[in-house]
Amino acid sequence: MLMPPFELHHPSTVDEAVELAASLMAKNEAFDWVAGGTDVLPNYKWRINPKPHVISLAGIEEAHALSSRELGCMVPLSSLTTENDVHPLLVQAASKVASSLIRKSATVGGNLCLDTRCFWYNQSEDWRRSIDWCHKADCGTGADCRVIPNQNTLCVATYQGDLAPNFMVLDASVVLIGPEGERTMPLVDFYELDGMKKNVLKTGEFLLKVVLPEEAAQRKGCYQKLRVRDSWDFPEAGVAASWVPGNASSLMVASTALESIPRLHTEQVEEHLTAGDLDPLALAKIVQKSVKPVNNTALPPRYRRAMVKTLTKRALLDILE
Amino acid sequence: MGSYRQQPGAPSSEVRKDGKRVAGKQVFPPPGSGGSEPQMRPRDLDFIPETVGGKEAKPAGDHIHDRDRTGTVVGKPIPLVDSNAKVTGQAWYGDDVRLPGELIGKILRSPHHYARIKSIDTSRVEALPGVIAVSTGQDAPNRFGVLPVTKDEHAMAVEKVRHVGDLVACVAAVDEATAIEALSLFDIEWEELEPVFDPKKGLEDHDEPIHWRGKYHLARTNVQKRVFQEFGDRSLVKTPHASSHGSWTMMGVHHGFTEPHAVVAHWDPNGRLQLYTPQQVPHYTHRALSTVLDVPMHQINVIRTFVGGGFGGKSDPFPHEMCAALLARKAGRPVRITFDREEVYWINRGRHPSHIDVKMTADDSGRISGFDIDALIDGGGFASFGHVTSYYNGVLATAPYELGSFHYTGARVWTNKPASGAMRGHGAVNTRCAVEVGLDEMAESMNVDPIDLRLANLLPPHSRTISGFRITSNGMREALERVREGSQWDKKFRQLPLGKGIGIGCGFFISGSGLPIHWDPKNFPHATVHIQVDMDGGVTVHTGAADIGQGSTTAVAQVVAEVLALPIEMIHVRSHESDTSPVDLGSYSSRVTFMNANAAIRAAIGIRDQLLKAAWDMLGYHPNVLVLNDRRIYYKHDPAIGVSYLEALHKAQADTGALIARGAYRSPPMGGVHKGAAAGLAPAYSFSAYVAEVDVDVETGLVSCTNVWAAHDCGKALNPLAVKGQIIGSCHMGLGQVLTEKMVYGRTGHLQNANLLEYKIPSVHEMPHVEAIIVESSDPEGPFGAKEAGEGPLLPILPAVVNAVYDAIGVRLRNLPLTPDVVYAGIEKHVKQNGLEDAEAIEPPRLKHGPLQSVLVARSDEHRERDRLRQRSEDTSAYVNGVLFGFDPDRPLAEQVDGWREADEPLPEQLAELGFAGRAWLKKEQRHMGGDD
Repeated sequence: MLMPPFELHHPSTVDEAVELAASLMAKNEAFDWVAGGTDVLPNYKWRINPKPHVISLAGIEEAHALSSRELGCMVPLSSLTTENDVHPLLVQAASKVASSLIRKSATVGGNLCLDTRCFWYNQSEDWRRSIDWCHKADCGTGADCRVIPNQNTLCVATYQGDLAPNFMVLDASVVLIGPEGERTMPLVDFYELDGMKKNVLKTGEFLLKVVLPEEAAQRKGCYQKLRVRDSWDFPEAGVAASWVPGNASSLMVASTALESIPRLHTEQVEEHLTAGDLDPLALAKIVQKSVKPVNNTALPPRYRRAMVKTLTKRALLDILE
Repeated sequence: MGSYRQQPGAPSSEVRKDGKRVAGKQVFPPPGSGGSEPQMRPRDLDFIPETVGGKEAKPAGDHIHDRDRTGTVVGKPIPLVDSNAKVTGQAWYGDDVRLPGELIGKILRSPHHYARIKSIDTSRVEALPGVIAVSTGQDAPNRFGVLPVTKDEHAMAVEKVRHVGDLVACVAAVDEATAIEALSLFDIEWEELEPVFDPKKGLEDHDEPIHWRGKYHLARTNVQKRVFQEFGDRSLVKTPHASSHGSWTMMGVHHGFTEPHAVVAHWDPNGRLQLYTPQQVPHYTHRALSTVLDVPMHQINVIRTFVGGGFGGKSDPFPHEMCAALLARKAGRPVRITFDREEVYWINRGRHPSHIDVKMTADDSGRISGFDIDALIDGGGFASFGHVTSYYNGVLATAPYELGSFHYTGARVWTNKPASGAMRGHGAVNTRCAVEVGLDEMAESMNVDPIDLRLANLLPPHSRTISGFRITSNGMREALERVREGSQWDKKFRQLPLGKGIGIGCGFFISGSGLPIHWDPKNFPHATVHIQVDMDGGVTVHTGAADIGQGSTTAVAQVVAEVLALPIEMIHVRSHESDTSPVDLGSYSSRVTFMNANAAIRAAIGIRDQLLKAAWDMLGYHPNVLVLNDRRIYYKHDPAIGVSYLEALHKAQADTGALIARGAYRSPPMGGVHKGAAAGLAPAYSFSAYVAEVDVDVETGLVSCTNVWAAHDCGKALNPLAVKGQIIGSCHMGLGQVLTEKMVYGRTGHLQNANLLEYKIPSVHEMPHVEAIIVESSDPEGPFGAKEAGEGPLLPILPAVVNAVYDAIGVRLRNLPLTPDVVYAGIEKHVKQNGLEDAEAIEPPRLKHGPLQSVLVARSDEHRERDRLRQRSEDTSAYVNGVLFGFDPDRPLAEQVDGWREADEPLPEQLAELGFAGRAWLKKEQRHMGGDD
């Protein structure tokens, strides 16, 4: 399988990277950022939206920052360990991503910015030609969505990153940087409900690091991941929950792999807590009702939705112990 | 030598004058009678010196190869002889072949499921700089196919494409990027046709059947092959004491070998084609190339590279091999084509998606009165091995149990999907799973232990199955008893808590197809081996046996080393080129060790006899009292008197130069005379029994297999290390099919998971602990007693896991694979039907032995002794399927019971009650409808 040709750029500072992006934008040249490359490069080999330029973030020192409160986008998942003072929930979640080999390359930033996935989309070029392309990679044909035909507005490809819901229940923020400057926002606001747009990053902007609040250290969390093979599959559903032990109002629950974006279930938790005491099964049922997976991953959506209840219940029982 | 003992009712003299066998009267030749020497050799002797293990136990008495044992290497665990090349990365696989001036070939594939090509314009492709050659179906109109009776493939589509990914055209260019670019420049006019995806629809008439077979075409359906077989007394099943009926849906699975297909073609300066390809069956490629290219076979040299896994997926002649040759001929330069992974899935040849229906009945003494099997299998776009698969789905279920009757209807249909074909356990796996689970269910309804039900219904060694297979050695009973003991079955079965389960499954498989695909076995041997020994003493063995990782090269080297008493390092096996190796039928049907090693032993004996004769000249002692042992030949009663191997060799070479010898093997003629009688015939059969333990998460439906006790009767483990490797590998592959692997065709008929991330092969992390148990029944026909170990061990793991899941959660599941959603849906339904609060409230099944249990135990105790005597040849009376039901084995069964039937077509009154596949018999062939085009 041949990698399509592209020019690889190696900026060594944030400023250099941003300038490079700006100059490519000025020349109207398309580009992608690459961190570990475990997501972008396989897609390139399948000729899924390849670009003529790729800017690597590997040379930027700031992107490698790693402490209990700050995780740079280039930090490999294999470095998310208790020895490195990383929050136990993140350690647990990172250890469930893909396989140990892939975790050596895959990064925090890459996982958060993971491209959404769909079995009509993550296919070779010949394959996609045989379905006459799809909405997300339409090759200029204006093709319809293949998952839900006759809807041509949103892409429903599924976000299958593992870290995002865990960062969400630790109340993390992300630092984005681009030609228009730096901005910080809660991770919850980072994602945008569209499988193509995926998140709020503007062209030329990249996710530099994730920042955790001081309070996160007091939180106890659990991540439950559903997949066919524990060895290396993407999540078919994932639920993260955390709280400051003893304080029900601090409870947070987030899910992944059920829609185009990961979701923090603030409303469902509030609805449940205003109704009475914390009941894991009851809350799990409410969370289950709030998600609507579609048929574009390995397991059928009905089953994945049913499992949200089980995963949520298990995550809650674990942290309430 | 008279007729073989289990031959029922007809002495060997009752053969027709024209040499053909008489209907209903089978003559079985004695075991050990295959090959160039039609008679059994006298059985010797304690010929292996005690110092090298001569007094080892003989589980089945003496063996024809006892005289040839030297105690050198047979039976010892040794690493495969080509493993150094593999672990150091020096093995040359298909894509490793780099010839000077090579071009890269790429294949244009159909974007349509089913379409007629109205025109192809290649002018824009040819105009692209860097494109050297272009080829389309018009360049190669001759059809080919692995089976001579079903040649329905072309190098590239000639008129129609039959599935997405079917070959349309190909191009050779200076580099891959140019070749890929060129693919977008073909201008093709298509006429799309109505595709068929559902095999049930394939049974119906269609405006445009996917293939047309002229007067043999079945109405206007897409049925490629239909089979009907019925044996025995069907009245037995009318009033059953117990029964079971299961309808199964099994999804297609792919071999998932590591190395994608790759081929390099080169026309050498003399105009001969040199084709490098990782093939399991180079000889069929050789034949197909000759047909398609219109070149005589002697102008083609097929070079088998190392094969990075085959499992049946590299045993067809492939269209891309033709494409490479066509492009190379046009370009005058070597052309290399390597597949991407989705191309591997599009060429497929994996296990057929199947709908299988199994009914079975038992009488009040726990005897199995009938199997009734219906198998509708989805062949995809081409025939491939499907003709055979259609039979195997039924006939390979006729053992190891003794049956009162057997009824099978099968149909294979063409659909607009990648072609199914042969895959490890060819045709036997899905039906076996359905049968073994049915037995489990029937045992439950009789309140007996399913292992005891099996033990009380086994065919003994040296017997004839209901459809006429000759069973020789049979280690089924020992296999069952050893897994029962090893797994502590009696302490666990139906006694484990919810979510934990244990299950049993058995297997039965051919050890080498008795009928070669391409010629009459009366005229050619199945396997031939040449041996050459020159002055240096090294032994060069030429064989066409294709080592696909299973270790055939090692097996051949081992048996030659054994006969000649040489270290295995002195044996050099040359098997890559058709120019130098004698014709071999290739690596399929688990035939290689059995047939090739048999041929190799015979060749080695030829060399040994020359050496012994030289030693006789030198020492004055007759070869009968000479012993070969580690590069020395000596007098049996005084080892001090002897000559070295090299001395004897040089003496033997004095007048003739290098010693040469050849050996061949062919299986004896066997089987009945009904239509399809040859399907499933083999000179020996392997048997296996597995117990699997599983954990089921009742809330998610996730199943993990934790332990497997895997007993396999391979006759004699020539190399126990390789046998264990095959058992563990088979477990892995079977676990994939039963738990996670499936080829998913979405609502549009496209293969949705043509990649290794979404086609979910278990990783090492998902593997259970496998306790590999080798059972040695010493087959009288096998090389040193060996039988196959490559495919049979896959069969039992599927039913063992399915039965274990039932033991864990009390839910019978009949949709494979048991992905968590399937298991969860089963649990959900069970909870609802039984009004339970949730899955945790399920009560797993329990067993309280009924009155039949003691009957079965008593009978199996009796049979254990019967089998022991037969296995050791102390009892040589005839035994045919039916004796358990009170019949006399020495008289034809049809004479003894009115209802006895051996049929290959349904009776008119049966037509109304046939199963799904059986409905193919409601249609007529064109020639019976007045059509003959």
